[in-house]
Amino acid sequence: MSQRILIVDDEAPARERLRRLLAESGENDVVGECATGLEAIQLVGELQPDVVLLDVRMPGISGLETARHLALLPVPPAVIFTTAYDAYAVDAFEAEAVGYLLKPVRAERLRGALERAARLAPPLLASLASKQPATPRSHVAARLRDSIKLIPVREVFYFNSDQKYTSVRHAGGTDLIEDSLRALEDEFGGLFVRIHRNALVNVEQLAGIERDAEGQYLVVLRGSGEKLRVSRRLASELRERLQI
Amino acid sequence: MSAIVAKHRTERRLELPDFCSAPTVLAVVLIVVLTAIVLTLAHQSEKLALWLDLARTALLMLWIGLGCAALLCLLRRPLARLPLTTASALALLSVIAVVAGISAAALWVGRSNFTGPLAGALMFPANPVKFMVANMATGAIIGALTLRYFYVLGEWRRNVELQARARVHALQARIRPHFLYNSLNTIAALTRSDPARAEEAVQDLADLFRANLNERRGNITLKEELEVARIYQRVEQARLGARLHVIWDVTDLPMRAQVPSLLMQPLLENAIYHGIEPRLSGGVITVSGALDGDTIGLTVRNPLPDEDHTAHRGNRIALANIRERMELMYPGRASVEAGRSGDEFIVRLRFPYIEDGTRAAL
Repeated sequence: MSQRILIVDDEAPARERLRRLLAESGENDVVGECATGLEAIQLVGELQPDVVLLDVRMPGISGLETARHLALLPVPPAVIFTTAYDAYAVDAFEAEAVGYLLKPVRAERLRGALERAARLAPPLLASLASKQPATPRSHVAARLRDSIKLIPVREVFYFNSDQKYTSVRHAGGTDLIEDSLRALEDEFGGLFVRIHRNALVNVEQLAGIERDAEGQYLVVLRGSGEKLRVSRRLASELRERLQI
Repeated sequence: MSAIVAKHRTERRLELPDFCSAPTVLAVVLIVVLTAIVLTLAHQSEKLALWLDLARTALLMLWIGLGCAALLCLLRRPLARLPLTTASALALLSVIAVVAGISAAALWVGRSNFTGPLAGALMFPANPVKFMVANMATGAIIGALTLRYFYVLGEWRRNVELQARARVHALQARIRPHFLYNSLNTIAALTRSDPARAEEAVQDLADLFRANLNERRGNITLKEELEVARIYQRVEQARLGARLHVIWDVTDLPMRAQVPSLLMQPLLENAIYHGIEPRLSGGVITVSGALDGDTIGLTVRNPLPDEDHTAHRGNRIALANIRERMELMYPGRASVEAGRSGDEFIVRLRFPYIEDGTRAAL
């Protein structure tokens, strides 16, 4: 069965070379190529490739972050990283994690990685996604039917959780995401502040603190004008942090 | 420039050795004893035996020498904060003050303990005024010579250290491995699709590495350095295509000017790595230069990355590196400024125009 492959690299000559190497090695079908992580996530949703050849260092969303978002898909593609020289990538994936290829890529290594990807990659990719992120992501991902919607972290107003789901309220609306509030707090601790057991608010969005008739503290959000309840326990901490 | 994050111009300071450390105290004792011997031999006292004369002179001078060492040990830090001339004058004044103090104490000891016809009285001077004046003059001269000796020694050490560091940094200034592998990847792609351009890229890469790997190459002409930077641009152009646009505005520069090698190329490399590569749409880098009197000004501007959460650590290392090599070549006469201004990152170099073939005057 021939593998359907998507090529992602911000440099045109690098894409061109991978395309040629793949053409020469037969048994596969390049279904598309693109230059950024954002395009890659969109194209993966549309084209459903089996394998994504993903450059690590790209403008915007890095290859590493792109792979973490892709792992949320119901049937994630196998990801093979390509990198010119990136000690961090080699550290992070410790050779066997997901395949990675050093540029200039050798034809036989590419063939080997594709074979391995066909056999191994999905479960390994899942374990990669569950690993605690080393650096905070620039986007959070909401899973739609069979694609992924990316929400820039800077545009998030707040995260809110009920028993089962975490919802993210942002400039473009509200979406459900899979991360727990606890994990989000760990990842974005510097940018977001906990105001209640079930809410994590973007510090940039805080316009002020109010008190209602019953003495309950409320924060006012800049973007949406919404008012959110602050737990008594966290109110003083919050006021200290905001110096209000 | 609205927000300058780093500005640098070295000023010379009086860096005295640590007068509390054993080697320096030993040097002081040696200087004192040798001076005492010279003085005793020159003086040829008729009243005292040579050894006795030497003993009393050395005793007095050792008190003075060690007293000065103790005082300078205490004053070392405050003096290092003052301008060189003020600090030197203060150091010399404190030496003279110690000489005066110890000499006065010697007179007092002589007058209170060895009056009358006792033999010990011969050890002390008959004319206190002459004694004080002569001692302070001698102290001023020998003190000045000694301070000068320590200063020159310190400068020499600093220079040796600076040169060693400059060599290390010239090594560090070399091209990033990232660049090498990416370029090789581009060439691998071009060999089939555009062999002529692949050949050109290989030649450019060879020239670039010749410039980078040349150990002996200290200073070169501005023309050669700009040529290396342009070759660097050509190689990156093949990889980044329309994303990279470099404007060269350098026609007014004196091309025969001497510059440290690898001055421009690392700046261009930084501008591309931090300013162009992280941007989806790429951007424009401007390299401009002008001669202002006998000072050359060079400026490199690049746009800021789309989302700037990356620290410019690599950038700062490269800048510190260029700063040190410029300081070595043009001591106290060069400056490196770097910082954001609006939506750009700007690096400005200023250094004196020294023509090829003439040596830099120190």
